[in-house]
Amino acid sequence: MMRPTAAQRLDLWIRQSTPMALTSVLAVLSVVTVGIPGYASVVPGYTAMATFYWAIFRPDLQPASALFLIGVLQDILTGTPLGMTAVSLLLLHALALSQRRALVTKPFLLTWLGFMVIQLPVSIMVWMMMSALQFRLIGPEPALFQYLVTVLGFPVVAWVFVRIHRYVVR
Amino acid sequence: MAKRPGSFSSVAQPVRSLWSRFAFATLIAAAFGLMLLGKADVLLIERARMVVLDALAPVIEVASRPAEAVTDLMNNVRDLRYLRAENARLAVENDRLERWQHVARRLEAENRALRALTNFVPPKEVDFVSARVIADGGGAFVRSVMITAGRRQGVSLGNAAVSGEGLVGGVVEVGEEYSRVLLITDLNSQIPIVIERTRDPAVLAGDNTRSPRIIYLPQNAQVVPGDRIVTSGHGGVFPPGLAVGMVTTITDGSIRVTPFVDWERLEYVRLLMTGADGVVQPESANLPPFSVMGPENTPRSGSVLP
Repeated sequence: MMRPTAAQRLDLWIRQSTPMALTSVLAVLSVVTVGIPGYASVVPGYTAMATFYWAIFRPDLQPASALFLIGVLQDILTGTPLGMTAVSLLLLHALALSQRRALVTKPFLLTWLGFMVIQLPVSIMVWMMMSALQFRLIGPEPALFQYLVTVLGFPVVAWVFVRIHRYVVR
Repeated sequence: MAKRPGSFSSVAQPVRSLWSRFAFATLIAAAFGLMLLGKADVLLIERARMVVLDALAPVIEVASRPAEAVTDLMNNVRDLRYLRAENARLAVENDRLERWQHVARRLEAENRALRALTNFVPPKEVDFVSARVIADGGGAFVRSVMITAGRRQGVSLGNAAVSGEGLVGGVVEVGEEYSRVLLITDLNSQIPIVIERTRDPAVLAGDNTRSPRIIYLPQNAQVVPGDRIVTSGHGGVFPPGLAVGMVTTITDGSIRVTPFVDWERLEYVRLLMTGADGVVQPESANLPPFSVMGPENTPRSGSVLP
């Protein structure tokens, strides 16, 4: 077998780091102003969608350390308490990994259902941790809306991921 | 022991999985540790946040351009449709404002005369810088915006941010070129205000909804829907008299205010550099900047005055 050339190795490296690079970009995009009324308070959790997708389909390209860094980055950008998004992404990653065998070869509808089920406890946990950090109960509506927008938006974002997965990451 | 080809991996596999479990647990613990450190307002965490914010803000600024262009285009098209109606409305409004201008001139002259009579010490003139809003959001739990002015432009903690319509919020994080403004609707925002008509002092507390609540209103205060709310200047952080909003709903134990600011079209804000005498600087004491503006303890939902 021939040793891969430098160009081939670079090519492979770029392909394999695409998922995490993409998730980082999504973290930045989630704070960009868009001018849609009420959008800011219910920004879908793009990074959560990405984390779930790659945990199911390419867990080898999603190291927990990268997720941690992306989570902290998003916390800094959005102004949420540092570590909050990191915990939620890591938890989502672990939960998705544990159910991976049940979800990976199934039709998309089941994968989507899996995301709905797995994201729910994560959202509830984030809401409870936010409440604990503020020393008071935050109304559950914003968390609920964000959960709904995130799971309902998943097919659209997943469609893009499937394309990138197929043609870029391979 | 037989040398099977798989023997190495049969040992390495559990070790690797154990290692990855350990690494995972460490990362989770690190995240919780960060949360607690952040809650304790450690200066280092604040610094780190600012450095990262400063580094990434240009990226966000560039990313916000296309979205802004599309929004502008849509607004232009919409404006074209209502051009005639808008023109008529503006003509009427102009008439009305001219009348108000007369009144304002008369009052200004009167005010000046009265000040001269009473040796009134006027408040300091306020410097300001204008900055563009490059990022909003913060998801379900935080109401804040990032703006393109920072320490280099003279911004400091606690500076009031106002738009053309009214008070937007206060600066809570200052980077070199960028800073973050906590909106008055955020859960952590508590601003001393007065009811403009009755001069009753109170505190406007955000709760992440679009309509913040008035708390600590005196027992005998008479507030009716439509009352204007302005900053009181108590605590010495925000200058007094900034328009904040209008009382819209009054129910048992909760008075809600609709801010004047149009949150969807918040493109530029003006930062009033008041010198922020009342702000506790994080260098001197580890307190969040807003703690001076509200009461010492954040109120629980049960402690709202009627």
